[in-house]
Amino acid sequence: MDTAQKEVLFGLYDDEEVLLDAVRKAKGDHLEIMDVFTPFPVHGLDPALGLEESRLHIAGFIYGAIGTLFAFGFMTWVFTRDWPIIFGGKPYWSVPAFIPITFELTVLFSAIGMTVTFFTICGMWPGVNNPTLDDRITDDKFCIAFNTNGQSKTEVDRLKSFFKETGASEVNTKVI
Amino acid sequence: MGLGILCLLLTFFLDSQPLHVRFWTNFLQNTVFFTGIAFITLFIYAAFITSWAGWYTQFKRVMEAMTMFLVPGLVLLLVVIAGLWLGWHELYHWASAEEVAKDQVLLGKSGFLNKGWYTLGTLVIVGIWIFFAMRLRSLSLAEDQNGGVDFAHHRKMRIFAAAFLPVAGFSSAAIIWQWTMSIDAHWYSTLYAWYTGASWFIAANATLILLLIYLKSKGYYQGVNEEHLQDLGKYLFAISIFWTYLWFSQYMLIWYANIGEETTYFQTRMHDYPVLFYGNLVMNFILPFFILMRNDTKRKYGTLVFVCVLVILGHWVDFFQMIKPGALDTAIHAAGAHGGETISGAGGHGDHGAFHMGFTIPGLLDLGAMLGFAALFIFVVFSRLEKVALEPTNDPYMAESVHHHV
Amino acid sequence: MSAVVSPIREPLIEGGKSYHQISEDLCSPTERTPSLAWVAAFMVAVTFLALYVFCVTWTIWQGIGTWNLNRTIGWGWDITNFVWWIGIGHAGTLISAILLLFRQRWRTGVNRAAEAMTIFAVMCAGQFPLIHMGRLWLGFFIFPYPNTRGPLWVNFNSPLLWDVFAISTYFTVSLLFWYSGLVPDLATIRDRSKGMRRKIYSFFAFGWTGRAKHWQRFESLALVLAGLSTPLVLSVHTIVSFDFATSVIPGWHTTIFPPYFVAGAVFSGFAMVQTLMVMTRKVLKLEQYITLNHIDSMNKIILVTGTIVGVAYLTELFIAWYSGYIYEQFAFYNRVMGPYFWSYIGMMGCNVISPQLFWSKKIRRSLFWTFFMSIFVNIGMWFERFVIIATTLARDYLPSSWSYYVPTWVEIGLFLGTLGLFFTLFLIFVRVAPVVAVAEVKQILKVAGDQYAGKHSHQPSAHSETHH
Repeated sequence: MDTAQKEVLFGLYDDEEVLLDAVRKAKGDHLEIMDVFTPFPVHGLDPALGLEESRLHIAGFIYGAIGTLFAFGFMTWVFTRDWPIIFGGKPYWSVPAFIPITFELTVLFSAIGMTVTFFTICGMWPGVNNPTLDDRITDDKFCIAFNTNGQSKTEVDRLKSFFKETGASEVNTKVI
Repeated sequence: MGLGILCLLLTFFLDSQPLHVRFWTNFLQNTVFFTGIAFITLFIYAAFITSWAGWYTQFKRVMEAMTMFLVPGLVLLLVVIAGLWLGWHELYHWASAEEVAKDQVLLGKSGFLNKGWYTLGTLVIVGIWIFFAMRLRSLSLAEDQNGGVDFAHHRKMRIFAAAFLPVAGFSSAAIIWQWTMSIDAHWYSTLYAWYTGASWFIAANATLILLLIYLKSKGYYQGVNEEHLQDLGKYLFAISIFWTYLWFSQYMLIWYANIGEETTYFQTRMHDYPVLFYGNLVMNFILPFFILMRNDTKRKYGTLVFVCVLVILGHWVDFFQMIKPGALDTAIHAAGAHGGETISGAGGHGDHGAFHMGFTIPGLLDLGAMLGFAALFIFVVFSRLEKVALEPTNDPYMAESVHHHV
Repeated sequence: MSAVVSPIREPLIEGGKSYHQISEDLCSPTERTPSLAWVAAFMVAVTFLALYVFCVTWTIWQGIGTWNLNRTIGWGWDITNFVWWIGIGHAGTLISAILLLFRQRWRTGVNRAAEAMTIFAVMCAGQFPLIHMGRLWLGFFIFPYPNTRGPLWVNFNSPLLWDVFAISTYFTVSLLFWYSGLVPDLATIRDRSKGMRRKIYSFFAFGWTGRAKHWQRFESLALVLAGLSTPLVLSVHTIVSFDFATSVIPGWHTTIFPPYFVAGAVFSGFAMVQTLMVMTRKVLKLEQYITLNHIDSMNKIILVTGTIVGVAYLTELFIAWYSGYIYEQFAFYNRVMGPYFWSYIGMMGCNVISPQLFWSKKIRRSLFWTFFMSIFVNIGMWFERFVIIATTLARDYLPSSWSYYVPTWVEIGLFLGTLGLFFTLFLIFVRVAPVVAVAEVKQILKVAGDQYAGKHSHQPSAHSETHH
């Protein structure tokens, strides 16, 4: 999110189905939604908003692959170049014995990498205080927000009537 | 289709080796493979019912029809059993009284590895499977006719399904030891039964997907869509990984402990049957893993069909490598004992890396035999399927299945 | 959500809840003063924790000689406890990950608590290999770091080292999975609170706002972490089983160990979840979220895994005979008929035979029986590990070195002490975070709430009723 102050007009809905209808209507009316906030993930909201599929899992795959290569490569280097040890009459480069650790590190790299990426791209870290519009959004309200910076009164009125038509239970403004 | 089987079997018979090792190993392999598919389908079906899965309901008739192959499966097994008593084949080392008498290990096992137990075990266990398959199918069909709002049929099916799960757990292990593990009569592994079960599971899962896609292409099951196939594909992916896990556990533990009695199994396969040994892993793990990892590949019919055919073949090869080496050894022994002609392929143990069609790699005839059995399987499934309504009407989960979303 | 739900399904959330009511019910236990029951339980738990600290100090100060291990029996209660705790630590990930794959909606009622339990159990488990080293201050030797001894690396081919990687990975991934799932719920608590409390929860809620894009990424993360955790959870107990199965000791070296250990782990994990849930739902008044249906479903899993374990026991026994190998045969004869026959009976009785009671629906839905049986299974699984470890070691190849082993008070104290550690952590957890996943329960309300599902559900047109 950019740091400049924004004037936000937002409506709160009581039910996710009403919200979904409202989002679809907004798209149909070519209103530019700044954001939608919900207390839980609403099924069908992403396509309604036109959000692209998250590419987080691709990042996860890449981190995992790095883990695989690192673990396997490192053990190979240790046991064939750096300090070969004979154990149990097995060859130095004993692939089956490398698999458990390779697997664990694949998972570890992928999980840590993905979680860190997730929090970073969402701008979330311990102690971060992102501005919220309404405390009840994490409870039972479903919110559509519009950025009204520099918008004329007629435009704002149009948004207000949109909220009224689509069944929002409350309409408020806030500067964040 | 029926004609296909007949031709293949005949050609095959004429062409086979003295003692018909190749014929009988193929016969046993395919019988066990396809009967196992029917059995594990019943197991999956029972597990779905017990876990209130719901989403599979639309195509449950296909699964029920697949379980009906247990009946011809039992007939085919009876042929193997008849051969056992009448000495048509030398599949099992322990079946020969002279061999057992001079072999301390086999003598110790003869309380379990004998013709009587083999026959009784097969009859009773497959009989029980058939009973449960029939029962679940008839309850499911009766529900169409007179299922009410109290879902009495479904509740009853739940009881039978739940009862079948432990029965299946115990009985499949016991019978797999008899059917295939005892081919390498000296060798043993506690994991073997579960490993084989996982192999069946994937083959059954892939067969189900192929049947559904085929039926869809013929205009049936229009309600079954990508969502269902993606779920089935997910199982295929997950169980393929699970199979690999079992394969690795068995292999790694034996490799690590390095006890001669156990390593011989893998030694033989790695050195004399390398194509099967490594091919098994490539076909059943590496390729399906990388192909099915993405979500969209489970939703595209083309890729899904490709993977399904691949893993069915792969697990067929898995059974091929479980059965062939041990049976070939037994046959060489038997041929030596009878002073009979030498078996071609027997020399393979001297020169590593030499390939022998039908043993170290499946030849056309073996694939032909497989196609024959597959045709029989499909024939049984379709003939069971065409007699009934393809989509159930009074199943309490039907609506859920139609509106299934991943 | 207009998902279609079969009329045969039972509701999973009772009491005709609204979204607000869910937040209220699930968050309020962290907001009110602790009940007397909680305070009493906490005091008991902390007492045991103190015992633990004392016994660890004693062991380290005096040395491992304070335990009754000897040359024959080198692994006793310590490793038994380790494997037992690790097993318990499997249910959380199983519920979150594998039940997700099998589309079992009932997991939402119990997953958060089970994941927390997983983390605490793994923490308890991790203690034992460390204490067991004797010289705890050299514990860092187990990590591969460039050292001045060459560098001589750790032996990557040793199953004991695989354990180090498996357990630390499992702990980390479970923690990430649990915490990232907890963040939106912590934000819910944050937005309900004021003053200092709000500051604290703001810190831990990472600035969660509930944006649509964040939810989308959140779900993607949860799905991939679940997908990673599924094989991970299998691998952890598999690797623990490798500690035994890669050896050449009869009774330990058997190929079924990996999946059989995993099944046993799931079994004992669910038993511990039941023990905790039966108590938690009562004390925190969560009966409408952790319903009898949840208890019933978990008892079914206990029955299934108990039977799988039973198949494995019998497989082992049978193959021991079938192997024709006298040492293998003796190892199992010794388990059943040897000096530790009582632990074998305890194992069979508690793990295979008594869970069969759960075939009865009435017993599955009885809280008394569930609690009773869950304790039974916990005991049985402890015996299983004891049978595998101590019984096997007590009778090795050389009759002259046969031995018998009983624990000292220090070893018993260590075991009881980890229970104290476990319960202390769990009791703190129920005070500071919602025990049931708030957002996830809201998400399934419209398919699993009793006003939408089951016999007494209204028609779909009654949606608006939920709002105040």
